[in-house]
Amino acid sequence: MLDLMVTPADFVALVNELGRKRRIIGPVARGDRYFYEEVGDAARLELGFSYAVYGPKSFLFPAVETLFRFEADNGSFTAEPVYDDRPAAFVGVHPCDLHAIRLLDRVFAQDRRDEHYLRRRGATMIIGIDCARPCNEGVFCADMKCHQADEGFDVMLLPLSDGDGNRRWGLKFGSAAGREWLTYSRRCTAPTAADERAAETFLRAKAAAFPRALTTRVERLPELLERSYDSLLWEATARRCYSCGSCNLTCPTCYCFDMSDSLDLSLTSGVRQRLWDGCQLPGFALVAGNHNFRPRAAQRLRHRIFRKAKWIRERTGVAGCVGCGRCDRACTAKISAVEIYNQLAELD
Amino acid sequence: MKPKIAIFSLTSCEGCSLAILELEDQLLDLLGAVEIVNFREGMTERAWDIDVGFVDGAVSTPQDDEEVRHFRAHCKTLVAIGSCACLGGINTLKHYQSGGATRDEGAAHAAGGNGRVAEYRRYVYGENAEWFATTPARPISAVVAVDYQLPGCPMVKEEFVELVKCLLIGKPFRLPETAVCVECKRRGSRCLYEMGIICFGPITRAGCNAICPAYGSKCEGCRGLVSPDAIAAAGINLREQYRVDLNEALADLRLYGAYQEALLP
Repeated sequence: MLDLMVTPADFVALVNELGRKRRIIGPVARGDRYFYEEVGDAARLELGFSYAVYGPKSFLFPAVETLFRFEADNGSFTAEPVYDDRPAAFVGVHPCDLHAIRLLDRVFAQDRRDEHYLRRRGATMIIGIDCARPCNEGVFCADMKCHQADEGFDVMLLPLSDGDGNRRWGLKFGSAAGREWLTYSRRCTAPTAADERAAETFLRAKAAAFPRALTTRVERLPELLERSYDSLLWEATARRCYSCGSCNLTCPTCYCFDMSDSLDLSLTSGVRQRLWDGCQLPGFALVAGNHNFRPRAAQRLRHRIFRKAKWIRERTGVAGCVGCGRCDRACTAKISAVEIYNQLAELD
Repeated sequence: MKPKIAIFSLTSCEGCSLAILELEDQLLDLLGAVEIVNFREGMTERAWDIDVGFVDGAVSTPQDDEEVRHFRAHCKTLVAIGSCACLGGINTLKHYQSGGATRDEGAAHAAGGNGRVAEYRRYVYGENAEWFATTPARPISAVVAVDYQLPGCPMVKEEFVELVKCLLIGKPFRLPETAVCVECKRRGSRCLYEMGIICFGPITRAGCNAICPAYGSKCEGCRGLVSPDAIAAAGINLREQYRVDLNEALADLRLYGAYQEALLP
């Protein structure tokens, strides 16, 4: 089951070696919270972190991204695309967020391919970290079947310890690139039978450590929502909604964006940028002629929940909600997706 | 022909006018695109043939009232800059220093209505308070028609440049219709609610790039309310979810928002 073993200190050294060729992005502490940031020294990475306040999309799909620069002068127009395909390694991605990246990968590759996302993603190695227990109260990753990931990483780290209680990372390869990086490294050792047993123990303990929060099985959520389209719960809950969009913007699977052109003061050149957008914002579904498809907060809330638990899964086959709980935590009105699912089930 | 620009000040600290001079690295480009013909903070010449006039400060004295009408008459486009000009700003706090409980009651006291000279005037001007005429403080839109508003304390200078560019190329200019939370999330800040701080980000218009929460200070609403729906939600949430005394929340909101119509339910 395991491919290699490495000590924490050797792993930091390995990442720093990798850092000569790649930007290193991973969890760092700010106060008592963790954020994904670029680091110059892998020793700054807090690999025992609980959760990153913003998911991996904050790096893979930046909040503000320049798509192209243009020049428009005397009737001529030229545009130059801007791509960020600098090699990077994303170190420390939990299984829920690996599932989220899988969805982003699928969405940005379907229909018209999004080169800005795909090039950055293609240049990024992903090193996952398995979590032994829920990272925070209120998460429902196990209900969403996203607390474990068998793919979507180049290398996966399992937090294990050896017979003397020393911490060791158990390594699993998920891609040829991951295998190539570590196979011939003298810092890694082959797993022993005891290491394999430790990994099995870890996985057994993990399976028991994640409580369930949903009263409905995830496969049943689409039908439940189908029957709940006209529920009074949407209005009753949305009366609290600020329509601030915090749930969308912190969601690791929300990928909607708005476009904005910005001119230099010369008025002959400028950039087109995209910015994170969200379906809870009142202007999101506003179209020409001043028509808004979802003018009411209740319609917007219903739309979000339907996207997360029904429509995305039906369209792409992968989870639209990974159960990380970021939306619930970000909501200053304390509107909770889990509560909505459970209340709908109760009313059903 | 470069458009002729003027910058005027009413009752205020004139910090918004100064914010234009703080554009520093863009100032030369800006001066290449427009001609500034009247600017007390930046030059001595005065001209009154003006394409775009920017005004900071609230209308808080009879003289302000006269001046803002004069600006309007001489500017083809009139822009209110800063919380004072757009919302009345902190000037409107005086209404509540005289015992007024509501906007109109406070304004009546401030005007010296109900047969009493407002206490704040004695506090500020001493025994000769009568020599200094004041009126209730109002945003300039309460006196003259305003074409654009750039709220904020101070105004956001990048937004000022954006408006200038829009005017130069004839592109519609719109303020963001979203709450400050959007910009907090885009810049990756930590939510102050997680630290038990009641922040006005969810009800305040974005555009400031959420600068206060980014440095750990709660949003005080200097750019005005984002929508009546948001303030209605705030009333419910502060009472039901946070057990906050709504009178206290309202008093906090009055720092900039006293003149705004929408009040907590």
